[in-house]
Amino acid sequence: MNWGIQLTACFFAAVSFSLLVRQPRNSMLASGLIAVAGYTVFLLLGRTTLAYFAATLLIGVSCEVCARLMKRAATLFVTGAIIPLVPGVGLYNTMRYVVEGDYHQAVSTGASTILGLCAIALAITTTSVLFNALGARRKKRGAPC
Amino acid sequence: MEAILTTLDAVCLASQIILESGGETYRAEETVERMCRGLGVPQVDVLALPTGLMLTLTTQESGTLTRIVRVHDRATDLARIDQCNSISRQVACGGMTAQEALCRLKEIHHPGKDRRWLLIGASALSAGSFTVMLGGGWKDFIVSFFCGALVQAVLPPLNRRHVPMLLSSLIAGALTTLMALLGTLAVAGVQVEPVISGAIMPLLPGLATTNAIRDTIRGDLVSGGARIMEAVLSAVMLAAGIGLMLSMWGGVGL
Repeated sequence: MNWGIQLTACFFAAVSFSLLVRQPRNSMLASGLIAVAGYTVFLLLGRTTLAYFAATLLIGVSCEVCARLMKRAATLFVTGAIIPLVPGVGLYNTMRYVVEGDYHQAVSTGASTILGLCAIALAITTTSVLFNALGARRKKRGAPC
Repeated sequence: MEAILTTLDAVCLASQIILESGGETYRAEETVERMCRGLGVPQVDVLALPTGLMLTLTTQESGTLTRIVRVHDRATDLARIDQCNSISRQVACGGMTAQEALCRLKEIHHPGKDRRWLLIGASALSAGSFTVMLGGGWKDFIVSFFCGALVQAVLPPLNRRHVPMLLSSLIAGALTTLMALLGTLAVAGVQVEPVISGAIMPLLPGLATTNAIRDTIRGDLVSGGARIMEAVLSAVMLAAGIGLMLSMWGGVGL
């Protein structure tokens, strides 16, 4: 029940965020659905650093596939889809601990936030490099423009 | 000569729009190269940075033409990048002349009017939804909704008056926190954590970060490094805004 509400909220958050960055209309729905899929994986794997990596990997692959299907740039889909994973809670909590003077907690929360961001970056890099390599091979065979 | 100048104008404008809308630098470079191939320019060299663009066209009849374009204001607008992409594809396939492309690009560059209320609504709804996603209730949703609306109402006028991006991140962080803390006073049972962390989600530099990574792994180290710095600094300033307001609130002792 709780998950249902959170995932629905995740969908609306992703779609309205993609409206905010002025994504083209017909890419918003795809972005929202990919975001929900990614966030589900993230919750299932228990919000660890590995969960960030796995969820972003799923999002990256789905976005690249969508981009190929709809003949658009993958960035259009990734921007909206990745945003629910961005560790905003971690950032806020780190700041709260700093303000409270609890530096032990601040450093450990901050470190796990940064690790999460690195995991996201690594996963996006992996998918983007893999798909670019695939695309380059296809272009050599003489794809139409 | 006339024709090559139109070509130069068109390719400059196309990559300028991409850079101003938050596109990757390699996309701006690829667009120039693709359009030049379609328009029959034999040799083109282009270097795009997040803050500017240099390009040189070489043809037999008119020699070497170089232009530098400075990019001052950057805002995220994916639809414009998409439109530029499709125009450059058409030009590359020979389906559009330089003159037509220039006209279309000028239309994109000067959009009719910004749908301000739509953006405020989008920001409010996304802030509210993020709060619920992070475990907030309906009261938290309402407070966060107003945080998102306020931030989106305040930031564009600041950008228009050329307030630096870092300062506006600081202001956004502080405003969000102030609104959330006021919300806890006004409405009983509002939790601060999901409200603030939800409301800052749309402000975090998501696109800048992914672009920075893409630029870096493609070997565009200068733009990649600059973008990483932009993303890190704006996240740090946002965090500083939150911290500032939290400690001031604590100092007042409410």
